[in-house]
Amino acid sequence: MPAIIAKRVLTALLTVLAVIVLAGILIHFVPGDPVTAMMAQSVSATPEAMAEMRSRLGLDLPVWEQVVRYVLDVVQGDFGRTIRGNEPVAHLLLLRLPNTFILAVSGLAVALVIGVPLGFVAALNRGRATDAAVMMIAVLGVSVPGFWLGLVLIKIFATDLHWFPVAGSGWRAIILPAMTLGLCYCALIARMTRSALVEILSEDYIRAARAKGLREHEVLLVHALRPALISIVTVLGLVFAYLMGGQVIIENVFSWNGIGRLAIQAMLERDYPMIQGFIVVFASSVVVVTMLIDILYGLLDPRMRKKS
Amino acid sequence: MGHEKATDLCGLKPDIVVTKEKGNIMACINRYLKTTFRALALGGSIVITGAAAASELTVARAVDADSLDPHKASTTQSLQGTSAIFDTLLTMGADGSIHPGLASAWEVSQDGLTYTFTIRDGIKCHDGTTFDAAAAKASFDRALDPTTLNPNVSAWGPIKSTEANGNHVVVKLSERYGPFTSFLTSIQAGFICPASVADKEFKPIGTGPFKLESWVRNDRIVLTANDAYVNQNPLVENPGRPYIDKVTLKVIPEAVARMAALRAGEVDIVEPSLEEAADLKQDSAYKVYSADLSGQQVLAAFTGRIPPLDNPEIRKAIGMAMNKQAYADIAFEGLVSTANCTVAPNLFGIDQGLCAKWGVHYDPEAAKAIMAKAGYTPEHPLKVDLLVHKLPGWDQMHQIMQQDLAAIGVEADIQTREVAAFFDFMTQTNLKTDIKPAVWTMGMSGVDPDYMYFLWKRPGFVNMGINEQLDQILTEQRALTGEARAKKIQEGDRYLLENAYAVPLLSPGWNWLMASSAKIEGFKLGWMVSLIFNDVRVSD
Repeated sequence: MPAIIAKRVLTALLTVLAVIVLAGILIHFVPGDPVTAMMAQSVSATPEAMAEMRSRLGLDLPVWEQVVRYVLDVVQGDFGRTIRGNEPVAHLLLLRLPNTFILAVSGLAVALVIGVPLGFVAALNRGRATDAAVMMIAVLGVSVPGFWLGLVLIKIFATDLHWFPVAGSGWRAIILPAMTLGLCYCALIARMTRSALVEILSEDYIRAARAKGLREHEVLLVHALRPALISIVTVLGLVFAYLMGGQVIIENVFSWNGIGRLAIQAMLERDYPMIQGFIVVFASSVVVVTMLIDILYGLLDPRMRKKS
Repeated sequence: MGHEKATDLCGLKPDIVVTKEKGNIMACINRYLKTTFRALALGGSIVITGAAAASELTVARAVDADSLDPHKASTTQSLQGTSAIFDTLLTMGADGSIHPGLASAWEVSQDGLTYTFTIRDGIKCHDGTTFDAAAAKASFDRALDPTTLNPNVSAWGPIKSTEANGNHVVVKLSERYGPFTSFLTSIQAGFICPASVADKEFKPIGTGPFKLESWVRNDRIVLTANDAYVNQNPLVENPGRPYIDKVTLKVIPEAVARMAALRAGEVDIVEPSLEEAADLKQDSAYKVYSADLSGQQVLAAFTGRIPPLDNPEIRKAIGMAMNKQAYADIAFEGLVSTANCTVAPNLFGIDQGLCAKWGVHYDPEAAKAIMAKAGYTPEHPLKVDLLVHKLPGWDQMHQIMQQDLAAIGVEADIQTREVAAFFDFMTQTNLKTDIKPAVWTMGMSGVDPDYMYFLWKRPGFVNMGINEQLDQILTEQRALTGEARAKKIQEGDRYLLENAYAVPLLSPGWNWLMASSAKIEGFKLGWMVSLIFNDVRVSD
């Protein structure tokens, strides 16, 4: 087991490094730089003044040099300062990371609470009307755009019923965005649960368990659920990554002050240090969660431990 | 007894409740739920009345400030924040006239190279210190320092030296700079107090009507009234401290959510969506504000080095096809006006009547005839790109424009880019001479017609400079003042319009609308869409 963990940690570190380098290169392919973006609203700098600004920001250096400098800084823990506000990038990110995480985890919780039972019900009623109904809900969940669902929830629960605020922070404000994310991603979990359970329920050991005369709920909850969990946990990492990505839009709809909105703003402003900082944090959190899930996977499935 | 105990258990030891009889538990849960719902309902009503409280105001905008440092800020949203916190040396009336600000008086030397500003006595910074000539000098110097990375550095002018002398600040220029005093009134020229830069991190400490209480980036800027404020701005009636105590500039990125927050009473003033602003205007429960003093101008321009757009007749024909009244009425829901000059109305020296004589007029038939003479018909059209960037109202305008052009035999292929990418692309495109010709649109804003200089003095903004003759006019106007400068600016406008290098379309064009509930009184939009809260009162 320690060997698996060590290997996973190393892979994770290398992945993050690769992302930093790639992001550093790709960012320069996006047309428009921070100085152009700055000039877009008020035209009051001469081309010479703009060139001066570029050179002070180091934007006139070759791309490889800018990337190498950035990687060296990040390795030493320095994420730089934003170009627009001249604030430390790490500080801005750290301030918002908890918000983003809380929302992602709340969304995931809602998705699990709705998705797993739905998948369970569908698997048990395989081929029947209930199955079809559940899977239709699942397809609907995948198909409905998050921002639209968010706006509908705002209309009903904030504008009309006044139950929750339209925008803001705090526990009352998190309910609608968490519901939106949860409803959008529960479908994925429901499908996964269903297919995992359907497969397991046809296994010989389930037949054996039933033949032994075990009660049905024991068969389902003990013998079928645990192996099914392995598949669900696997997909969880994927869902989390989707969630972090999808959350950028939901944060915008609900004015949730997470790193996603910071990133959108930074991209419009071409604030390179901020964009790179976001990519590093975003990639790292997805990599870390995937790694944790891999490790959890090993704990859940004894066969994995034996393999190594 | 049992009843009381149940309450205790309910609140403190829920694990023991299990041993109680069922009826008690249900009563307990019911009571708990009732209390919770009451608390929730109360919470809800607090949110609603909170917005109505006389001394607080919540404003929802789409985007947060990028900086509250007036020497670094570039976006309208940032400058709206800095203009509440910082004052300017001079101020501007609605007619473009210059008035005192932090400076009670100013003098210009005979040669136009030395400006002496008298700093008003008794101005207090938000930290209690006095704003004096030394502070003003320090603020000048910081704005001009290349390490500040001030995006407006060129607009401050060719300043050679600054000096504090008693209560005077003496500014020496290396050459005459006519726009100097008007620039000093603009929200891009806020004056900071020395405490702002005392530490490594910038702190927004100014002399303006509001102090910064807190700023959570991308969430809210909280401003509190400055009790020591004495107003100089001619656009403000209230002579002293703002009537309201607190202003919160909240960020709600989604237009639909912003409007929902206004309707739910969570916020008092919002940046509305264009579509909803038109509806709100009909609704007596709301007010819609449009910035008359935006200083914004929307233009169409050409890649004039690429044939056949190097021919002024073709450019004129394209200008004549553009139905700007339709753009204003349909695309912009009648919330903007058409404009005739290359510079926004109300700015120094700008005369809409004269511009109307010089520029082209909507006349699709005549335009069609010119194009036909040049060999282009709707059947064999001139193919151009219509290069644009995304903004509310502009998208619809470009669609109507595309139809307008098609009618005279110009087939325009709309290419939309996001703003930074667009200006980057235009910088490349304007240098080329051998690609598909393009018509493009842009907007610009300022408090002085000198922005013509930044746009068209070669190489010009995104390389849109034109020729020696125009360079000379634009450079000369900077060295003049008063009537002579106004004449020179008009000469530049005339040259651009008669040769159809630009087709003026509308004013204003972006971020210019605000809406509030009807109970808000005295809210105003100032120059360059600054938000003026000094006169705001909330009625019941």
